[in-house]
Amino acid sequence: MTVIDHPLRARPKRRPLRDPFLLLPLLVLLAVAVMAISAPWLFPGDPLDMVAMPYLWPLDDPAFPLGTDSLGRDLTAGLFHGARATLLVGISSAALCLGFGTLIGAAAGYLGGRTDLILMRVTEIFQTMPTMLLVIVLLAISDPSLTLIVVAIGLASWPMVARLARAEFITLRHRDFVLAARALGYGPFRIVFIEILPNALPTLIVATSVLIANGILIESAVSFLNLGDANTVTWGSLIGAGRTQIRTEWYLSAIPGIAIILTVLAVNFLGDRLTRILNPRLRA
Amino acid sequence: MIRRAALHAIPTMVGVVIVSFLMLHLMPGDAVDALAGISGGASAETVAAMRSAYGLDDPLGVQLARYAAGVFTLDFGHSISYGAPVFDVIVDRLPATLLLAATAFTIALVIGVAAGWAMAVFADRWQDRTLSAGVLFLYSAPSFWVGLMAIVVFSAKLNLFPLGGAETIGADLTGWALVADRLHHLILPASALAAFFVAIYARLTRAAMLEVLHQDFIRTARAKGLHPLRLQFRHGLRNALIPVVTMAGLHFGNLVGGAVVVETVFNWPGLGRLTMGALASRDISVLLGILLMTSVVVIAANILIDWLVARLDPRVSA
Amino acid sequence: MKRRDLLAGLAGLPLTALLPRIALAAGGGGTVTAVAATETPVLLAFVNTSSTIWSAKTTEGLLEFDHDLTPRPLLAAEWDVAEDGLTYTFRLRQGVKWHDGNDFTADDVTFSLETMKRLHPRNRSTFAHITAFEAPDPHTVILRLEKPTPFLLTALSSGESPIVPKHLYAEDADPLTHPNNTAPIGTGPYVFKEWVRGSHLIFDRNPNYWDADLPRVDRLVVRFITDAAARTIAFETGDVDIGVRTPVPFRDLEGLEDLEHIVLEPQGYTYSPPNITIVEANLRDPILSDLRVRQAIAHSIDREALAKIVFYGRATPSASAVVPYHKDFHLADPSPYALDLGAAKALLAEAGHPDGVTLTLDYTSEDQRLVGEFLRASLSRAGIALELRGQDMGTLIARIYGDQAYQLHLASISNLFDPQVGVQRLYWSKNIIKGVAFSNGTGYQNPEVDALLEAAATSTDRAARIEAWHEVQRIVARDVPNFPLVAPTWLTIANTRIEGHTSGAEGAYDGSLRRLAVRA
Repeated sequence: MTVIDHPLRARPKRRPLRDPFLLLPLLVLLAVAVMAISAPWLFPGDPLDMVAMPYLWPLDDPAFPLGTDSLGRDLTAGLFHGARATLLVGISSAALCLGFGTLIGAAAGYLGGRTDLILMRVTEIFQTMPTMLLVIVLLAISDPSLTLIVVAIGLASWPMVARLARAEFITLRHRDFVLAARALGYGPFRIVFIEILPNALPTLIVATSVLIANGILIESAVSFLNLGDANTVTWGSLIGAGRTQIRTEWYLSAIPGIAIILTVLAVNFLGDRLTRILNPRLRA
Repeated sequence: MIRRAALHAIPTMVGVVIVSFLMLHLMPGDAVDALAGISGGASAETVAAMRSAYGLDDPLGVQLARYAAGVFTLDFGHSISYGAPVFDVIVDRLPATLLLAATAFTIALVIGVAAGWAMAVFADRWQDRTLSAGVLFLYSAPSFWVGLMAIVVFSAKLNLFPLGGAETIGADLTGWALVADRLHHLILPASALAAFFVAIYARLTRAAMLEVLHQDFIRTARAKGLHPLRLQFRHGLRNALIPVVTMAGLHFGNLVGGAVVVETVFNWPGLGRLTMGALASRDISVLLGILLMTSVVVIAANILIDWLVARLDPRVSA
Repeated sequence: MKRRDLLAGLAGLPLTALLPRIALAAGGGGTVTAVAATETPVLLAFVNTSSTIWSAKTTEGLLEFDHDLTPRPLLAAEWDVAEDGLTYTFRLRQGVKWHDGNDFTADDVTFSLETMKRLHPRNRSTFAHITAFEAPDPHTVILRLEKPTPFLLTALSSGESPIVPKHLYAEDADPLTHPNNTAPIGTGPYVFKEWVRGSHLIFDRNPNYWDADLPRVDRLVVRFITDAAARTIAFETGDVDIGVRTPVPFRDLEGLEDLEHIVLEPQGYTYSPPNITIVEANLRDPILSDLRVRQAIAHSIDREALAKIVFYGRATPSASAVVPYHKDFHLADPSPYALDLGAAKALLAEAGHPDGVTLTLDYTSEDQRLVGEFLRASLSRAGIALELRGQDMGTLIARIYGDQAYQLHLASISNLFDPQVGVQRLYWSKNIIKGVAFSNGTGYQNPEVDALLEAAATSTDRAARIEAWHEVQRIVARDVPNFPLVAPTWLTIANTRIEGHTSGAEGAYDGSLRRLAVRA
């Protein structure tokens, strides 16, 4: 996805923690992280076990504050355990994309010439196939598991990073400090990873927030379509499971949906702010 | 220019064919397995006979060569599960998906650009902040969830829109009644699909407008005393549209991909539901065809958009 | 034969003699909208049995059936089965025309039956003993058998053995890819009009139907609605009139039942009774080959709770794979291994798994997932951890029947009109065939069971067949190669504005809907 800066927006305050647009998303993400980490302790049982009466509404029973689903499974436990999978998929798919995309983009941008041409052609192939379709097809190849979902999202989304990294490397490779490094006889490995990469980082870090948000959204869609792993609770799978009762027990789909939106919103807000902090070039 | 772009597209298409073909052949099981399965049992001889009839027992290279040769004559093979040529099966569904995607695209572009423009005009005032937050919300909501909630509210509770489908079936409507009926079915799914892209275009427009408004020629125009609204339209928006339209091309694939999910929520008879069906019946030739045809659509959309950009920005048309 | 003679006579009468009755029955008209969750690959069940649901609407068979499976004339006006069960003679209805105007003759029947003997997944074995298909005159068909096939007559329904027009099938035509599969021409009450994939199907009234009184509706529309909740709403709002095999979530039935304009029709499911939901064990697996492990699993299954929670009480618990709908053949005995978690744990420990076991359960389709999740929760209480593995049908079949690399398989097995056709495949050792779906996937072999099944397959004595089947069920209940769970209740949901949709054993699913009408 694209990151667009708002050049005229108020500059981040000197003390970032006083900035509500930085603090609030950080707090939300912290809360999600705490949910994910504390899930095994707060809800030690299997979140997919039948523990109570089916279709308890939220607040009906203080023991199950968010209610239960058609099999009497605790939605609160599902939401906490789901946070684990959601964060895991978001972060690891972004990491995968970033690693692979940067590698391809760096090689293309730094080496240029025929390598660039070939690598960009390959990138184009993957960029041409609609991401969601590609993920669906990749998932169909093997048994659904969280790892496969991460790999599929990574494989389908890396072209964006590759293009960004390539653009950065093309700009940077003719900069003075690179030319100086080359004159000093540094090897290409050192030039790429020690000299250029740190300068390309701000752009890539901002891209990360988009990748994470995207990973979470794709994962939820895949689980919603019932292509995910049936042994892992994710927020998307909770929405999908509640779909047949959408008119009567709408809370089953609404609550996990709100959780997704809040998390992705926080990631996006954070990305917006980071852009302004890390990318001085874009500031007005 | 269009010819050059089309020529450029050919190796990409070949790549898409090879990549998708190899990918789909990594799958365990084939369409004959699935067909035998839903038939509730078939004998070993039947299964073997079917497999050889469809050429599924040939070596992979032979199958790929045969497939690639077919693609260039628009022969995508025979769909085992639909009992018809793959090309026909897909072409049957393609218009519905294109209609949905194009409508969503239009909605996203109009609302997105309008919102982005307003945000730029009121930059950093409360209007901008409110709109920005709203836009970021749309940017963060899964489209299928937006669709589900829209169904709950607008169809099930308020009964304003149909629950799904693309038309009132068997009603034999004609003329304006038909158009109205189609629109009535189209609004909810197109809006659900558009939501995410409204956010993208709004953010793009805002940034581009701000940049343009600070360029010298605008300052000059302003100094000349041009009316601000006219100024923004004549110079600002036109220039701001260039990056928006360029990005739109890159996003068209995502729009089609998003349609896949939204279609399942709204029972929309397009490629998305065909994909899910083909997946369930392991109809590899249909899946291949869908990947291929959507890629063609994406490439075509990009060529079209390049052309549009060239029209908008005389500097590009070198 | 008296009544049949009369009917045959009527069919031969000149049209004018029937005119007053037309006047009485006509009127009606109108459009009926049916709903289906998924689309079948093709519209004809000739060589593709996954496509039965709409097949009979255009393409008829020789017979139809009363609720108790007594045959009634359809394309065959009368028939005779020799005492020894080796010769079948059919007198065909006269004056029947195909939708394209050609005459229906005995050649069409022999062609269709012969082709199905070659290519129809089930009729390959049902017709296996037929040695000759003869058409001595245009209105007579004689089948000669080498061994009796007690369920042959029942197999001649529209859905199971459709009769197709021979003149459309050229000598070298491949019936698997024939265009008649997707735009069928038959003798049936409805003429295929259009199929917009992913959206709908339209059938129009056949104005030249051989029964001049019928059909009584002008148009039959089928809408495909994949979302289950949306189907419920479509019934509530009156957007659709009819759906078969409980087309809505069980959760929603109670609400629908309370509506004035909706009826839930339980009849019409004796020809194809509800599937048995069943878990199969791979007996080649080192853990599951131990009888004690399988007994432990059996001891931890609560069929009543499953029926109550997952199916909202709309399912019949059954410890036998022969569902209770087969009143005579079904053995109602409970499982010899009653719900007892203590016994389950003890058996597991005895089998060398004092700390429990982890097993993988393979399944396909969304409805099965909930059953799998219920089983995982219940079995975990006995120390058996289930890993669910969902997949599409193709992968599942390759895994279970091709590679035979699985542990537990959650399936839904159709019983069909006779356990010999529907259930035998699960237990007969000759049905252990690599690569063939929904055969004997467990690898179960028991010579005693084989002998009983084979005797029942060619016996003309119904009582003896029933006794053999009861014995088979007793033996497999002890050996537990699989765990039959429940038979979900199949209901036809219909708007009260229509009638005549359930007039026999085939109901609206296998039947032709030729008596369907919109109430005046």
